[in-house]
Amino acid sequence: MAGPPMLDAAPGSAAAATAPGGDVVIATRDLWKIYPMGGEEVAALRGVSIAIRRNEYVAIMGPSGSGKSTLMNVIGCLDTPTRGQYWLNQQLVSELDDDELARIRNHEIGFVFQTFNLLARATALHNVELPLVYAGAPAAERTQRALEALRKVDLFDRRLHRPNELSGGQRQRVAIARALINDPSILLADEPTGNLDSTTSNEIMALLDRLWQQGNTILLVTHEADIAEYAHRVIHIRDGQVARDEPTRRGRQAQGAPAQ
Amino acid sequence: MALREAFAVALDTLWSHKLRSFLTLLGIIISIWTLVAVVSLVQGVNGYVALKIARLGSNVISIQQYSLEDMTDQKLFRVARVRNRPVSMREFDYLRAHDRLAAQVAASAGRTLNTILKAGVHSMTDVSVRGVTSNSLALASFDVRAGRFLSPTDSRHDTPVAFIGADLAHQLFPGVDPIGQSLTIDGHPFRVIGEASPLGNVFGQSQDGFVDIPLGLYRALYGTQDSLSVELQAPSPALLPALTEETRMLMRNLRHLRYQDADTFGIIGADSLMSLWRQLTGVIAAVMVGVSFVFLVVGGIVIMNIMLAAVTERTREVGIRKALGARRRDILSQFLVESAVLSSTGGVLGILLAYGFTRLAAALTPLPFSLPWLAVAAAFLISTAVGLFFGIYPAQKAARLEPIAALRAET
Ligand SMILES: Nc1ncnc2c1ncn2[C@@H]1O[C@H](COP(=O)(O)OP(=O)(O)OP(=O)(O)O)[C@@H](O)[C@H]1O
Ligand SMILES: [Mg+2]
Repeated sequence: MAGPPMLDAAPGSAAAATAPGGDVVIATRDLWKIYPMGGEEVAALRGVSIAIRRNEYVAIMGPSGSGKSTLMNVIGCLDTPTRGQYWLNQQLVSELDDDELARIRNHEIGFVFQTFNLLARATALHNVELPLVYAGAPAAERTQRALEALRKVDLFDRRLHRPNELSGGQRQRVAIARALINDPSILLADEPTGNLDSTTSNEIMALLDRLWQQGNTILLVTHEADIAEYAHRVIHIRDGQVARDEPTRRGRQAQGAPAQ
Repeated sequence: MALREAFAVALDTLWSHKLRSFLTLLGIIISIWTLVAVVSLVQGVNGYVALKIARLGSNVISIQQYSLEDMTDQKLFRVARVRNRPVSMREFDYLRAHDRLAAQVAASAGRTLNTILKAGVHSMTDVSVRGVTSNSLALASFDVRAGRFLSPTDSRHDTPVAFIGADLAHQLFPGVDPIGQSLTIDGHPFRVIGEASPLGNVFGQSQDGFVDIPLGLYRALYGTQDSLSVELQAPSPALLPALTEETRMLMRNLRHLRYQDADTFGIIGADSLMSLWRQLTGVIAAVMVGVSFVFLVVGGIVIMNIMLAAVTERTREVGIRKALGARRRDILSQFLVESAVLSSTGGVLGILLAYGFTRLAAALTPLPFSLPWLAVAAAFLISTAVGLFFGIYPAQKAARLEPIAALRAET
């Protein structure tokens, strides 16, 4: 296999075309995902090639069923592509085995879901701790780091609440704290505001914005144009293919002076 | 690390589904309960029997028509019934005269079935009526509580006197001193000369329902064809093997047995009693252990079933954990720990029940029951192992789930 295709990835993406190699966090080439559906085959992804650099803030948009979640799941190593290559930090992820993928999910990926996906029986603190449990961190360090993370999302005083004792926005903040606890290379958020009202959505987006400013790389799926406006770049997906890849208004404004 | 998480989750689920866990564990509980209880019962009874036999005298052998082996094995008994002959009065006299190693030679005969004893308005049936020689007291397990035992004079003259057990004293002479009173045994009058101190129960069977009368009188009343039981006491336990050998040779000579012939009588000693007892309780224990293993397997399958349900119920949880970096072996050990904690909890409950059971048995019977530590440890390990074994399949099922498929599960 040739090295990461940072130069020919995602044709039409000015950002990717000029990206220096060491700066690319995510790179995919010709990703396919085909679901066998009782004899028929459904192709959710049809040759997706994209590249995302460190500290980029990218939104993915597209009609329902266009393959956004499928792409996110592949990038988040929750799912494996049928064909094509995927590099994460120059490592060819699409060829790793189960345990190595688990390690990547643990260390490199922070995933935020539309439905929060918190453990119902565990406290906020324990939910945030969980990735550290699987990273093998000692108990004392775990608790300390989890408390710190909760403080960052303003939920320190809710640390012993269970998910059903928290509001939707609070749950999503717990999930974000959890996603960031292992200091991942990229934060993936699949419609993080999909289950929230607009006020709470704006709170969550403000939080993500702050995280981006602190240097995190963010990839976000959304249906809503105003949510996408928080990002600096939008990748439009249609029928499992990249239809357009362009900077947002905010991205064009920031062009000359990117946040580092 | 992740193991602690696994234990925490396991205890949490166990606790939050108390009733379900308990019902799931019934099989394991019953199985471990019977296993531990049977082991401790057998041990307790063995100890008790060993004690009783020791009290009976480790230096006593008994010559009877049949050996213990003959009496407990149908095939042997069929042969022995044709071959063996009753021990006669003549043989008793001969042994008494010629057995130089014996310190005491006593004889007895007895029956229990359908005997009727009366004293005034009171009566008793199925009392053990024994014809004995006056030196039987030296070999007996009871003590004289009041009055006296049969004297040599009583034996010689076949005086109609009776020495009674504690049950008879209570039931035939309530509120009266029985000494000097008269009673009838199957219609024949006797005068009570002594009373034994109580022996208590063995396996719910009272040992105090007996009356001893002179042997000659017994044979006059009930006939002379019943076999005698001749008890010989060695001066010390060390001389018992020699006494046994000498007695066997005397009996064989008396009966004109050739070298290749088998004994036509039985010799029963404390050791043969004990080994027979061990054999008997061994069979009981083996059967019960077999039964409890069946329970154990059933209990294990129930655990497997509940763990499969738990995996289905918590597929989404598995998905979340995998999404956060749990490896296959983390999920595997989580569910294995859970089923092992579940089944060993059953084991502990079973052990506690067995403990209560043995305490109860110890309180209600004279048997020295206790819980052997080895059995407790083994029971705990076995129950844990069952959980691990039957948890493997569900745990593997959980561990093999694809993260995204698990996350999408509708639960
Ligand atoms: N497990 C699956 N089995 C079969 N087909 C699937 C599976 N998952 C997704 N698909 C199909 O793949 C296509 C893309 O699905 P995906 O969930 O990625 O869409 P999406 O863009 O996230 O849609 P939405 O905006 O509604 O969330 C859809 O046609 C869907 O039916
Ligand atoms: Mg989706």
